[in-house]
Amino acid sequence: MATIKDLNADFEACKGQLKSYLLRMTASTEDVDDIIQDTYIKANASISSFEGKSTLKTWIFAIASNLARDLLRSKKRWPENVTDICREAALSNRDFLGEMMNIRMTSPHGDFEIKEHITFCFACVSKSLPLEQQLVLLLKQVHDFKVKEIAVIIDNTEAMVKYYLHTARQKMMEIFDHRCSLINKQGICHQCTELNGIFNPKQDAQEELVKIDMVKKAQEKDKEQLFDLRLEIVKSIDPYDSPASELQLRHLKHNKGVMDKHLKEK
Amino acid sequence: MKTLLTMIMMTTQLMANGQATTNKKTFSRETAVAIEIDASTEIVWALLTTASDYTRWNSTITSMEGDIALNETVKLKSTLDPDRIFKLKVKKMNPGKLMIWSSGAAPFFMGLRTYTLSENDEGSTTFTMTEKIGGLMFPMAAGSIPPFDAVFQQFAADLKKEAELISNQNQ
Repeated sequence: MATIKDLNADFEACKGQLKSYLLRMTASTEDVDDIIQDTYIKANASISSFEGKSTLKTWIFAIASNLARDLLRSKKRWPENVTDICREAALSNRDFLGEMMNIRMTSPHGDFEIKEHITFCFACVSKSLPLEQQLVLLLKQVHDFKVKEIAVIIDNTEAMVKYYLHTARQKMMEIFDHRCSLINKQGICHQCTELNGIFNPKQDAQEELVKIDMVKKAQEKDKEQLFDLRLEIVKSIDPYDSPASELQLRHLKHNKGVMDKHLKEK
Repeated sequence: MKTLLTMIMMTTQLMANGQATTNKKTFSRETAVAIEIDASTEIVWALLTTASDYTRWNSTITSMEGDIALNETVKLKSTLDPDRIFKLKVKKMNPGKLMIWSSGAAPFFMGLRTYTLSENDEGSTTFTMTEKIGGLMFPMAAGSIPPFDAVFQQFAADLKKEAELISNQNQ
């Protein structure tokens, strides 16, 4: 039996992780704030029904995941080429570019680092996965939940969690293998190095790239290992609290706006 | 009776090894394959019913469009006849157990593809796939329809490999 005091302690302890998870699900800081608030209200109201079959953290993530799913279920998923579409929109939006440059120059969280963009790109591309697949991928590979715990969070069987995880990984590997120039010389997306040239004009992009394990080992590792190295980068960066967080959050807001419009027109 | 039971058991055992068999008659032909898969029926069912994912794991399917849902039509291309688009209607779905696809029109020419899953005691799944083609026109067309055996065996082997890979992931 857990008490409100237990809930408050555990909620506070996992709030940062929960926010990062929800941001990658929704791509909206406003939605994250709403879901965080609603999660706490729900958890607080139903703490007496918590039976202790999982940890409180798992239970809190289950409530939040359900709220996120309710919000996202009726919305279309983003296309795989989300970064291409958003790049075009950004290049024709002078106000946005000016705002980004201003953040870059003045904000203490306005650094641009290629690995930060890799994380940002992962968040955008993962929104092209079916909802359940994205959810399971994030829970297992970014937030380190066990298959058994994820089954509780998404109210499904362990077998289906494994299925969603496997298909999500395969799909993401295929997309990055085809698109990402960091791991494939024929890759069609160069956005991270392109942005590095804009935000860090005096920096040698090649020097930066060789510091990244995934890039360094692109020729010798297979797709699975490269994807795991990409996940290590994603796990190492908190989108709410990193040297580039303000820049990346503004960029995410831009991409969400572009995607909302794009999917509505479609 | 005992002999008949033994024969049935031997047939089942033989078919569960992933070897396809074909029975030909004047107005029909039936090909069947069965294989034991060390994964739950849920995983096998999910693979069999997700059209958008087929070409990734199934080397006998080169394209698939549509939803694999009751009364929906699926368009697919197979290595069996790479230039032809097969249009198949999902006639019956009993989740985790049975699915039937049909093509053509009775009584002239009709194909019925049946997928059956049965859960074994130790949590594995026996997958069976049969296709019966036949009808009044069958004798005239029979010579131009390629044998299904090799493609069926490959389908079953691909399904087993993929389902077991999923099932054996780290916890």
